[in-house]
Amino acid sequence: MKLKYTITGLDCPNCASKLAGQMSDIEGIESAKINFLTEKLTVETSLEESAAFDLLSKKARDFEKGIKIEK
Amino acid sequence: MKRIFDFAKSEIGRIALCLIFFISAVILEQTINEYISLAFYVIALIIAGGEVFVSAVKGIFRRDLLDEKFLMSIASVGAMIVGEWSEGVAVMLFFLVGETFEHRAVRKSRASIRALMDICPDEACVLTDDGEEMMDAEDVEIGSIIVIRPGERVPIDSVITFGSADIDTSSMTGEPLPVSAAVGSQLSSGYIVKNGLLHARTVRLSGDSAAARVLSLVENANESKSREESFITKFSRYYTPAVVIVALIVAILPPILGLKSLADSVYTALTFLVISCPCALVISVPMAFFGGIGGAASRGILFKGGNVFSKVAKVETVAFDKTGTITNGNFIVRDVITYGSSREQVLSMAASAEYASNHPIAECLKSVSDKIVPPRSVKEQAGYGVVAELYENTCAVGNIKLMKELSVDLSNVSRDLEGAVYVAIDGSLAGVITLADSVKPEAAEAIKNLRRLGVKHTAILSGDREENVKRVASTVGVDEADFALTPEQKYARLEELISSSKSTMYVGDGINDAPSLARADVGVAMGSMGQDSAIEAADMVVMIDNLSKLPEAVLIARKTINISWQNIIFALGTKGLILILGLLGFANMWLAVFADVGVAILAILNSMRALRAPKL
Repeated sequence: MKLKYTITGLDCPNCASKLAGQMSDIEGIESAKINFLTEKLTVETSLEESAAFDLLSKKARDFEKGIKIEK
Repeated sequence: MKRIFDFAKSEIGRIALCLIFFISAVILEQTINEYISLAFYVIALIIAGGEVFVSAVKGIFRRDLLDEKFLMSIASVGAMIVGEWSEGVAVMLFFLVGETFEHRAVRKSRASIRALMDICPDEACVLTDDGEEMMDAEDVEIGSIIVIRPGERVPIDSVITFGSADIDTSSMTGEPLPVSAAVGSQLSSGYIVKNGLLHARTVRLSGDSAAARVLSLVENANESKSREESFITKFSRYYTPAVVIVALIVAILPPILGLKSLADSVYTALTFLVISCPCALVISVPMAFFGGIGGAASRGILFKGGNVFSKVAKVETVAFDKTGTITNGNFIVRDVITYGSSREQVLSMAASAEYASNHPIAECLKSVSDKIVPPRSVKEQAGYGVVAELYENTCAVGNIKLMKELSVDLSNVSRDLEGAVYVAIDGSLAGVITLADSVKPEAAEAIKNLRRLGVKHTAILSGDREENVKRVASTVGVDEADFALTPEQKYARLEELISSSKSTMYVGDGINDAPSLARADVGVAMGSMGQDSAIEAADMVVMIDNLSKLPEAVLIARKTINISWQNIIFALGTKGLILILGLLGFANMWLAVFADVGVAILAILNSMRALRAPKL
């Protein structure tokens, strides 16, 4: 399943690609891409929509304060 | 109180607070007591760098040591330890100032791209049984009737059911001249109705409408990386560790050899670390491509990824599909050869006989004759033509096969006019009408401009007959005319062209040529916002059916590539220069922070130039 979110609060493209890398490492998330300029997060996952959202939000919060994911 | 607190937490507030403590500390250091001033320095440092320290520590736990915040923290704390208090604070203060500017620049460019893309209203005015109702465009079902007033944008793809108006299509197609639309005309979301009130029946959901598709193409475009982008990512992977190793050597070697004090050499090493941050490098290139994608989209040209820019920029060969690409796909009368009747008579007879037909040839015949009479009876012979009872005569209009079947005497026909329309009245030949596919008016100019931009070879690959293809080729001035090709032969010829050139562009309308669009280095789908297969297969989509967009695309691509290289060279050059200065002991930390943040800001500003498309 492909899910799309808006991700705000990222400072630089380097951090964006790092966070995307960490998100792809979450179990059940096959791939995660962050487009820094359009602030879009695209994930490919086998998880339930709400479970994926919770895991991704937590990862974003842990990564750095102020990073937020919205549907 | 809360507002003061919020201000103190904002970037500007922190800069101001930090400055106050910093200046006090500098004064205290000169006047009263070193140790009181140290306390002030530390407070200033925490205000400016607290968050940075926290995320640096988080980075250590992630085993992500070469993060810029980690580097900045080491540099700042290191400077405090070796006794350079003011510089230790200054690093963090400047980093904060720089980041603030950088965020603003990023935010501004995001906003300008978004403004460019903000081409479709979120609400639609729907006509219901109870009158008009404003609804979220997302909730409007297919087949609803929407009302669009003068000055409004079309919210959803639809067909006009009432009214007529001039339509500004520029935000979708880049076409500056308004077009007139009336009942039955298609409207794409994003068009602006200039005058007149329209009712229109929606034919798609808002999410599937043209504007939404353009947006998603642009938003997803950046995901496929260009060569320049991967270069920069790879580069920064080696660059940062290399600088850290050099920094260690610079810190340790001179004191061992007795050339410098440990404090001095550690300071130089810390300067190195600050310079080594890769952020300016990794932001500069994607930013340029994003600007280019946004700028091109506003002119009706969609690049599907950063990698397309480099291929378009160095295009050497352009192959065109003929029908619907170079030509309009409808016919014009080229010549009328008469045998005893007048030209007008022949055209009038032919048009009247074809009265009920809507074949493109019939449409063409009807458009050139002003005297059309409905026939008394018509017999259509598929693949041959029609035989109609007109006035007191029997009129046969069709190809040569029809004439042979009716045993019409063709001995007067001087040359083989295959594909022409023969008109026979009462069994004897009255005239022969030759037709041609009409060439798009801008085609010749567009091909000339492509050549001026360095395209070495142009070709038409067509399944049409030799005569037609050669005529079109000479009208528009292409180098090669390949005719009577089967789809397989077309594909094979394209492959030959691809293998003999640096970058080959194939331009088609997406009908039957999706494999060629996919195979070419740059597949261009012309004027086919409605064709999913074409958009899928193509690398570049031109939203309006206008060939002059091709040279424009080449120019935009070149400008964007230039800007991305300027950014790379500028970022690397500045960093390199300051690295050398640092090594020689001339650069201090202030300069190093500029090298990191200042270069990133300048690169972002430079990238925004790509939003403005160049003129031919």
